[in-house]
Amino acid sequence: MRWWRFTFLIIFAAVLQTSAAMNLLSLTDLRIRPDILLILLVYFAVHCDSYDAVIISFVIGFAADITGMVLGPHFISYGIIGAVIAHIRKIILLKSTRQQATAVFVTGILTQMIALMLMQFKAPELIKTRVFEVFAVSAYSAILWFLIKWPVTKVGKWLGVGVHRFTARVSER
Amino acid sequence: MARAKFKPSKLTLFIGLLLTGIIVLLIPQNVTARLNFAFIDIFSFFLNIGSSAAYRQEPANSSPFFVSRHEHNKLWVAYSNLQAQILEQKRQIDELGRVRMTEPDPATGLVLAGIVNRRKNEFIINRGSADNLKKGQYVLGDNAVIGCIEQVSTDVSSVKLITSSACKLHIKISAPDVNSYFNGTMQGDGKNAAKIINLPKKYKIKSGFYVYAAPKPGILASLRIIGRVSRCVADETNPLLWDITVKGAYEFDNITDVAVIVIKTEPD
Repeated sequence: MRWWRFTFLIIFAAVLQTSAAMNLLSLTDLRIRPDILLILLVYFAVHCDSYDAVIISFVIGFAADITGMVLGPHFISYGIIGAVIAHIRKIILLKSTRQQATAVFVTGILTQMIALMLMQFKAPELIKTRVFEVFAVSAYSAILWFLIKWPVTKVGKWLGVGVHRFTARVSER
Repeated sequence: MARAKFKPSKLTLFIGLLLTGIIVLLIPQNVTARLNFAFIDIFSFFLNIGSSAAYRQEPANSSPFFVSRHEHNKLWVAYSNLQAQILEQKRQIDELGRVRMTEPDPATGLVLAGIVNRRKNEFIINRGSADNLKKGQYVLGDNAVIGCIEQVSTDVSSVKLITSSACKLHIKISAPDVNSYFNGTMQGDGKNAAKIINLPKKYKIKSGFYVYAAPKPGILASLRIIGRVSRCVADETNPLLWDITVKGAYEFDNITDVAVIVIKTEPD
């Protein structure tokens, strides 16, 4: 894993997620936008070894918090769910695009629900996301995965991940 | 001999990061919000790429008899604010025998700010506590109330728009041809409008009535236009109440700069 390149990628993704350019992809008057950081979370959790996946999940969660207005909820929710995916991946490989899209959808719902519950403790007055929007964003991101899987995989290889191994992996702690 | 590289176990790493997240979650919001504002401050140029596409370039007006929609809205807002001031002045004149006429309130000031980031039902502006901004102050866009200050850091603040479900304002509704107001509370619907809640049907409200932000001590000295009633029907859940939808005076995408109403607390 090339960490400096990964840092650059996460900063780029965080800026893109918050920028006005994403309004070009928004749907309806609720401005439903896909969650780029969610897609990256699932990609790295599936394709990295589990040790790196834990670190990456928390880092992406921190980036998601930075782009919002409350620090902490996504850091925890992304970290927990990312670690869970990294473990589940040992049982279910999640190689097919459909499986990965389903993982994006389910992960989006779970991370947002956990984040919303945690925001209730810290800043309940800043909660603006509704339950319908959680499902809509997760579904939109899952559908978008079919379109952007190829470029994301290329970026993953640039970072040194995304290589399928069929032999025994280096022992993980 | 090579120095052993410290590498915690996966479980230790996970627990350590989780505890870090819990500590960050427990840090007060007014402290951690600085990090969010710092991110917006640093990347404001990149965050606004693409927002110019929302500003439609209207062609130069060739006819002296017509103006653009935005210009029309600006004129309507100025007219509505003046009309409210005239009604207020008339009320004061009516009490001339008992109350001395006061000078226009010199304590009200405006702090002009630019929008550095646009989010759903929220703006981030480039003014903060260094310019005497505080939570709850009203924000004007082209002279109409568009929202209020939600969070403040030293240089940057967030503005929750009237369409945000977290924005609740005390309002007054006025019929265009009647010298009286109906009091009410308005809350954003989370999309592109706001709803006036818990208003009994005994008040005769119709579409087209003007909606003003009500004066509030220390925040707003006089009525300011918010928009118009766009829809007024009986509430489906409670037929004794109105279901009133309010549309703002402007499309928020067309607003480039805002002004924050700052009531001076110390005389000059």
